[in-house]
Amino acid sequence: MLNIVILVFVGGAVGATLREALMLTVRNPIDGFPLDILTANIIAALLLGVVTAQHARKAVSDDVNTLVGTGIMGGLSTFSSFAYGSFVLLNSPKDRPTVALLYVVVSLVLGYIAVIVGMKLGGAHERHSA
Amino acid sequence: MRPLDVIWVGLGGGLGSLLRWWLGRVVGERYHGAFPLSTFIINITGAFVIGYLSVLFKVDWRDRYGTALNAGVLTGLLGGYTTFSSMQLDAAKLTEKKQRGLATWYLVLSTVVGLLAAALGAVIARAQN
Repeated sequence: MLNIVILVFVGGAVGATLREALMLTVRNPIDGFPLDILTANIIAALLLGVVTAQHARKAVSDDVNTLVGTGIMGGLSTFSSFAYGSFVLLNSPKDRPTVALLYVVVSLVLGYIAVIVGMKLGGAHERHSA
Repeated sequence: MRPLDVIWVGLGGGLGSLLRWWLGRVVGERYHGAFPLSTFIINITGAFVIGYLSVLFKVDWRDRYGTALNAGVLTGLLGGYTTFSSMQLDAAKLTEKKQRGLATWYLVLSTVVGLLAAALGAVIARAQN
């Protein structure tokens, strides 16, 4: 129990710090499209898919799954900034509502594809050995 | 961006993730339906709080570090608490169980209700200001 608490806390701290690093390095286009948050969310979805599939075929331990899946990827990805960023863009003047709609659709579709691709990558060896 | 910001983000991210894990356990013990309720509750409440705090403290939505509130609470705690990746994983798992309709409905509902929750938080904070 204490073990899990430590793994989730450390993983979450690492993930959130990685997201902060992305926010400082990824430059957002002039129209306000939140490319940094999108990048964090898509990478996290991809890698969560990988570790989940690896955990399902017991290629990684429960502890690694908790540290990486629950901790790091949960900390790296964010729904609150996604929702609030979309809300602010929707309420902005000019073409921003269009940007908001684009952001929401691209996030949902790419995020979904990313997790599916990640699960395929993480489960790849299962098919070879079967 | 100062070293202190990194500490705030890390601390907030760790605590937020623990809160997410704990709430997931509590909900998982009581609810056994197909709809991914725990992630949904986590994300909607997180969206509400970020809308509320951002407006209450007049934080620009692009400003996510520099103070304990920005770095520790908005980027760290709420970012670590809410999760976009688990939402997508929930949807992918539903699709694997041939519940593609529920997966789509879950993603759309999370996004729409998340937007409304952020808006509600902002409206309440504006009324208090």
